[in-house]
Amino acid sequence: HCPSRCRPGPEACGPGSTGPWGTSVYWAAAPVYRSQFLVGLAVVTGLPAALPTLPLELTVLYNSLLFTVGASDSVIEGEAEGIRQGLLRVLEACGAGGQDLSTEELWQKVLQDVTAGELQAPLHQLGALQAAWWLAASRLGSTAGLFRLLSHAEDPGRACCREGENELLSLLKAWQVPAEEASLPLVQSTEDLKEILCTAAAFLQGLQELEAGNFATALSLFQEAAGGFCSKRVLAQIYTCLGCCAQQMGKPQTALQHLKRALQVDFQCLPALSHAAEVYHELGETNAELEALALLYEALGKKLPAAASSSPYFLIRTELLVDTPILASLLRHRHPSEVKYLLAQRCLQYGRVADAVEHYLDFLALFQEGLQQQVPLDDSSALPRIPEVFLETASALEQAGRHQDAITVCEEVISRTTDLIPRMLQVEERLEQPECPSSGAGLVGGLLPQKKESLRYLAWRAAGYLHQGWAWAKLGESKEAITQFSRCMCLSVAENLLPEVEVIQKIRLLSLIGRGMQFLDLGRHKEALLDFLHGLQISPGDPAAASYLVQALWKLNRKQEAAAHWQKFSQSPPGEDGQQEGQGRSFPLYLVSCLKQAMFPHSESLARSIQDYLATTSWDPSSKPSQSPCTGLAQGL
Amino acid sequence: MAQVGHRVDYLAGFCCPVGGLVAGKPRVLCHENEIYLSNGSEFVYVYDQEGKVLKAVYRCPDQVWHVELLPQPRQLYILCAHSGIYCVSLDQQSRLMEQTDGDGQESNCPSSVFPVDSDACIFPDSSLCMFTLLNNFVITLSQAHGKWWMKLHELPHPEQESPPYRQVSEVGFCPGPQPGDEEDSPPSRFLPVLCCASSPGTVGSGEGLWCSGGFVLEEPLFSLLFGIDAAMLESPMILCGFPDGQLCSVPLKALSSSTAVDGCHDVSNPDPPVKILHHLEEPIVFIGALRTERRAAEDAEDEQLFGDTGCDCVVAVGHYGKMVAVKADQREEATVPELREYYLRGPILCAACSSSSRMYYSTHSDISAVDLDWVGDSSDPEDAESCTGVLPPVLSPASLSICSVVALSLSSRASEGESELLALSAKGRLMTCGLCSPEDTDVGLTPAEAGRRIKELLSGIGNTSERVSFLKKAVDQKNRALASLNQVMNVSAALLSSQEGQKPIACTVTANWSCLLLQDTVTISCLLENCSEYSLEEGWTLCVQLLASPCALEEESVDSATTFTFPIDQLLPGNKRELTLPLGSAADTKLDLPLTISCALYYSLRDILGSGSDSSEALDDLLPDDSPILSPDREGICLPLSECTIDMLQCLRFESSPPGPDASPPAAAPPAPPDPVETFLKVSQEQTEPEGVKASELPHTSGEGNPPPSAASIRVSSELLKNALKTSGSDVSLSCATLRWLLAENAGAEALSSREVASVRGAAPDGGEVQLLVREVAMNDLSPAGPIQAVEILMESPSLADMCRMHHAVIRRIQVRSERAPGSGPPDLRMQYLRQIQANHEMLLKEAQTLRDRPPLGEEGDATAEKLLHVYRQLRNPSLVLL
Repeated sequence: HCPSRCRPGPEACGPGSTGPWGTSVYWAAAPVYRSQFLVGLAVVTGLPAALPTLPLELTVLYNSLLFTVGASDSVIEGEAEGIRQGLLRVLEACGAGGQDLSTEELWQKVLQDVTAGELQAPLHQLGALQAAWWLAASRLGSTAGLFRLLSHAEDPGRACCREGENELLSLLKAWQVPAEEASLPLVQSTEDLKEILCTAAAFLQGLQELEAGNFATALSLFQEAAGGFCSKRVLAQIYTCLGCCAQQMGKPQTALQHLKRALQVDFQCLPALSHAAEVYHELGETNAELEALALLYEALGKKLPAAASSSPYFLIRTELLVDTPILASLLRHRHPSEVKYLLAQRCLQYGRVADAVEHYLDFLALFQEGLQQQVPLDDSSALPRIPEVFLETASALEQAGRHQDAITVCEEVISRTTDLIPRMLQVEERLEQPECPSSGAGLVGGLLPQKKESLRYLAWRAAGYLHQGWAWAKLGESKEAITQFSRCMCLSVAENLLPEVEVIQKIRLLSLIGRGMQFLDLGRHKEALLDFLHGLQISPGDPAAASYLVQALWKLNRKQEAAAHWQKFSQSPPGEDGQQEGQGRSFPLYLVSCLKQAMFPHSESLARSIQDYLATTSWDPSSKPSQSPCTGLAQGL
Repeated sequence: MAQVGHRVDYLAGFCCPVGGLVAGKPRVLCHENEIYLSNGSEFVYVYDQEGKVLKAVYRCPDQVWHVELLPQPRQLYILCAHSGIYCVSLDQQSRLMEQTDGDGQESNCPSSVFPVDSDACIFPDSSLCMFTLLNNFVITLSQAHGKWWMKLHELPHPEQESPPYRQVSEVGFCPGPQPGDEEDSPPSRFLPVLCCASSPGTVGSGEGLWCSGGFVLEEPLFSLLFGIDAAMLESPMILCGFPDGQLCSVPLKALSSSTAVDGCHDVSNPDPPVKILHHLEEPIVFIGALRTERRAAEDAEDEQLFGDTGCDCVVAVGHYGKMVAVKADQREEATVPELREYYLRGPILCAACSSSSRMYYSTHSDISAVDLDWVGDSSDPEDAESCTGVLPPVLSPASLSICSVVALSLSSRASEGESELLALSAKGRLMTCGLCSPEDTDVGLTPAEAGRRIKELLSGIGNTSERVSFLKKAVDQKNRALASLNQVMNVSAALLSSQEGQKPIACTVTANWSCLLLQDTVTISCLLENCSEYSLEEGWTLCVQLLASPCALEEESVDSATTFTFPIDQLLPGNKRELTLPLGSAADTKLDLPLTISCALYYSLRDILGSGSDSSEALDDLLPDDSPILSPDREGICLPLSECTIDMLQCLRFESSPPGPDASPPAAAPPAPPDPVETFLKVSQEQTEPEGVKASELPHTSGEGNPPPSAASIRVSSELLKNALKTSGSDVSLSCATLRWLLAENAGAEALSSREVASVRGAAPDGGEVQLLVREVAMNDLSPAGPIQAVEILMESPSLADMCRMHHAVIRRIQVRSERAPGSGPPDLRMQYLRQIQANHEMLLKEAQTLRDRPPLGEEGDATAEKLLHVYRQLRNPSLVLL
């Protein structure tokens, strides 16, 4: 809408009259009066611009823009066209034009050319509004330029900032607010506006510095902002940002201090709580982390009533000016389901199996609760893929000794994936090439993601069988266990560097070890030996497989070979062992328990007996067939 | 393909707009015995199928876009255009009605129309485009900030006093490049389609699940389409079909609400839960699911035990007839979703899926049924082997012979064994169509059955007559269109074949002065003459384009063309039609003479479809495909007729009495101005309007009385003129003949022909005075053979611009004439003298050039302008003669 097109109606007030808004309107009941302001603005601007009426006109413009912002109560967006029109009116009154100038140039022209004293106050007020708009658009340069103009016009030379201090902030602080005229009341005083601008400018710049990785600068800016004028909610947000900043700087204790302050200021600032949990996690304070997460979950479950803001209500507030993606991501609210999962996952990681089981089962129960419980699956979610959650649950259940339950949970994963797994999946070395001659015509997302997904299905199903095998083994059902372990092996996968393939290889290894252990228990040592050998082929140097191989050989009474292998593996550098551990950690959480189970438990007794054997036979290692005992063994079998 | 047996019953008629109902918004819902119907107006009707009465009418504040029913508690949810979703409790309303009907009055019509007021609006949101219900959840789709927003709201439990309509979650996503950026309002013609798909295990899918149009998809199709996560979450999926043809799926349990504080949305986060399944490239009008494979006997028992396990095939139908079906293919080693596109005859208005493998779709002319059960259908084993998929390679639609149905729904009474299709025709008639299976055969008729049969036949006749009238209308329209096309082709052929000679349809342009609205104006009259043997019928338009020619006075003038169009109702062979258009009055418009006027005939092809059918629906009717030839940009035939130039000489106006032969030169005695005000206006006009000459070139003569008239002259040898004008035999003097020739095209100069005149004074279109003087002179110095007789044409005007225009016009004429004149050999000339003159002129030209190249400044500028003007004046009065 362009108010200047309106013609003065019959109710128009003559130029120079203060009009009804001059006295009766105050900031309360904004929406009601807003329309009147707009009418008033239209009436005034319908007349040709004239210097005597301009202060009134600009004041009406200021107030009406404030009401527009206040009534919409949403983040300020776009360009303030009204301010531009106002500036053009000022130029019109002075006999100049500037239609084709940018708003920045317009301000420059107005502030440099217009010298009329009575216009200075309204122009400064309008300038503060313009700064609000530019800050909301993160146009810090334009804002600084405007305040440079405003202060220079007043007192050139004073605005020069001290070394190291933020230019925009010092300009803002140096800017002298014009005195409010009694005849032209403002709905939000320029003094307040200046304070809000200062806070917002510091907050915004702090966020920018944080994003750029200049944590020290960001920290000081956030501290500046925290000392400023804002609502409790914004203050809590600033403290949260301070906390994140300190965390990134490697000062977890300081970060905790800030996050605590945030929660003290506004307990509903739940992002602070989730950040605190992260810091505790970093510090390794398990109890505190779990406590924080539990608290967060509880708080999310309760629908806290929106706390009435105790700070005075302003039309323009800091929260309307500061809205950047980084802030949104810092203040991202976790879903209750996410927090529940985090609790479960952490418990499992820390080995608190009973708690983990409880949380995992709670989490799975959330699925049944209907649509109220949202389970975010997007990239920023803390949740892994849902089948992995099931497998982790099975892992937890198994560790807690609830083997039957674990088997049931795995059954769900297996039944869900079975239909989806192609009977044959060719994974070419160069998967990047899209023209694979395979049959799976890509429906969604092309061939490669489809194949990767199929590989994942394969891994999940195999892991399901693996867990079932271990569970049956624990239940003493060796036959069942061997069946399940065998199911993991029906796949033969070529060497491949895809992480999905690596996981599958690990599962094969673990199931081979598992099956071998069952065979050992059943006294079928030869079969066990074969399994351990296969396992070593898949993962040469795996300590568990190697130890079991030695044990199997020992039990087969092939003590000499056993000793040779044992010597070879015990001589292999311990670094490899560590490396194995490191690799083990990169494997999915649901495999960790299986890795543990596959550890060789009697390594010391085995070592002792072998050493005894070596001592008694005075066997000379140099005489043994130096290389490839494995191949020999394999041929023998 | 077996003919689908059917029986049509008319239930009721509802009001419909003049052009009939338009598909998209009308909706028919059926629950138990009640039919809920909206016809795209602001009314929603509740019709009792059992009692065959209209039970209630609700009047909504705006056009109804969508209606959904929540059976428990009985509530209607109504989406109104640009206002939001309204909720009407049917139980409450029926109680109300019982109270009002308490006096026992039995009537067929509802007692009143219930207004749905703004209190009932539960989601006031003008950007809402579509919604659907899933149990006690409302899923809305709206368009804002260049994105689609899907929101999930929970309905309040009836016993609970919880805050109503809590928003659970929302997700914003942009499928494809734009969600309707070209229009700011949501696309009014096509709305997105929403549909809910759930997996068989979903909680409550057995008993309480209510989602009209929703379906249960069996595994593994569900996992294949939507991913294993959604399947394991047992999340219902929302399928969205957008007007741009994209088919998306959104898991309802994982609507990403990365909503931070202040409700600001994390825009950086793309739309991960939203998956694009397919792109149909045309507006999607329907999404449904079918059960294509019949279960084996033991499965059927299971089905009775555990309820329906769901559908195994998802279909989406586009408006122009493209259809896609997706089914899991488990025959090969890999389980993959098979996806097949079909092309049906469009445009498809609406569709419905049966509980079996049959889908019904409606076009303007028919309802057809297609069967996607292919494995069961192919009795030929060769066929089965040759095929490569689980879906039929082609579909064979079976006609139901019901035309122009805009809303379809499968009656829920269908579960009683007999399927029934509910249909709302474009004329507002609600009907049911019983769909007995092909294997049903008629046996002996009982009287009751016979009566029913007769009724069926009667309604069949009614249906047929409606169909006939529709088809007849379509045929008539096509005939009319063909006739129009024929005559257009005839006219075009006639005009284009006579490229060189006289065109059979001609347009002559003349300039006249006439009095319009008490003002004297130059008008242009175009005389359109049809000498061809075809008549110009309605639909032709005469386009007259006025183009200020680029050689006009301003150098940098852009071609400013104005086009006037005159519809021609009918112009029979041999007839003429004169059209007049004003060029602008003397007072206000600046006339940039000379004007180039081009005339052309234009025929709009859109008019072929008849004047009444401006909607694209009619286009759809005529051309099944949205053929790009008829896009609104290039949609007509244009035949150029003539082009001519109107210049100053044609636009001069003379006083009623032509001036006498002895009129003195005007410069010496300007005519006394009749009115001082007029004089003032004239003077000020001359001052303010530079008349096309650059301001800097104008002498500053303001306020010093009348400026000296500008003058120009041209000399033409008498010999040349005599030859050219062929006046040797006539008794008029050469100067008079020249003047007559110059003004021959001026309609006002007829008076000249009666008298011997050598000088005229006239008014230019802008009111300036112009003097034209022709006299014979003798050129002494030019030829050694003695003086050469020449005619000097002298132009004078107080306005420089008028004089220039005049000069231009005269030169143009002489150019044309001397080109045509047969040369008789130039007389002997004194070359020395000629060279001298030429040298003078070249010097003057050079001077003018340098003056113009150098932009004048300040005081100097005035002097420069003065000098330039002087040079030009000298240039305009050459001592040369045209021989």
